[in-house]
Amino acid sequence: MSEPMMNANESSGLERGYRRLLAWYPRSFRRENEEEILAVLMACAQDGQTRPSLEAALDLLKGAVRMRLRPRPGQPRTVFAAARLMCLAALVELAAVLTMAATAGTVMAALARSDPAAVSASHARMIANEVAAPLVIAVWLYLAWAVSRRRDPARIAVAAFFGLITMSLLAALSAGAPLYTPAVFGLGAAQWFVALVSLVLVFTPASNRFFRPAEPVPA
Amino acid sequence: MQEATFLILTALAAGTQHGYGIISDVADISGGRVKLLPGTLYTALDRLRADGLITVDREEVVDNRLRRYYRLTEEGAKRLAAEADRLHAHATAALRRLRPNLAGGMA
Repeated sequence: MSEPMMNANESSGLERGYRRLLAWYPRSFRRENEEEILAVLMACAQDGQTRPSLEAALDLLKGAVRMRLRPRPGQPRTVFAAARLMCLAALVELAAVLTMAATAGTVMAALARSDPAAVSASHARMIANEVAAPLVIAVWLYLAWAVSRRRDPARIAVAAFFGLITMSLLAALSAGAPLYTPAVFGLGAAQWFVALVSLVLVFTPASNRFFRPAEPVPA
Repeated sequence: MQEATFLILTALAAGTQHGYGIISDVADISGGRVKLLPGTLYTALDRLRADGLITVDREEVVDNRLRRYYRLTEEGAKRLAAEADRLHAHATAALRRLRPNLAGGMA
């Protein structure tokens, strides 16, 4: 079937619109498929169409999301799963800090009744937790990004970060109630467990081959 | 197997096709009911290639635009056949059970 005839302006405006939508896809997918999809999109275009239809635009964006949720070419399932778990850990941290902020008033009131001397130290601790949370979230997201892109040092960083999370969980355990409510503590424990699993995953044999391909066998 | 995937494989079962060809063929096969959009088509093709059910047969440049032809692999043909058998068995069972009722209703 041949492409409908259109003048150069219509065609280039429409093409620009489609390219803007295709920009949301992962780079490897675009390198492989962009020109071809564009050819199909232009072939499907109506006569005189100057902008992508809403239907096609939504379908392209949905495809972009779907592609970003898939393993990248050559990426083993272990690394893909680890990266997803790191994003999950970031979400859990977000949930923890929101829970903490939401219950802060009640927690501080309870502390003031039970242990007035500890109030200012506890307050400082709570602020520290809330300041650290965005950092923790950023580190998780960065690590997820870095391991998916085969950055080997990121694995060491994951191990170190896991150590840090373990220590902060132990510190929270020793501080205990009422500063940490069961919900916050549960979320902390969940994050620790997710971190542990992703740490194990990035050091499995399949992941080792991904991070260090064709490493010479030591003599 | 999703319906779109099934129809894409069915389109390729007759021979090699390029992207636009698959879209129009799927519309034909489904009697115009399934209109594949390019985003759906290419995410499906990407998955099918990764799973080894289809492969690129050849590439051509037509009017300065890349055109890639896909074909079914042996594994793809096997999976499509298995899925077609399964759907056929279900459809047959449904019809067999409906027919006596329909006949009874008529009487």
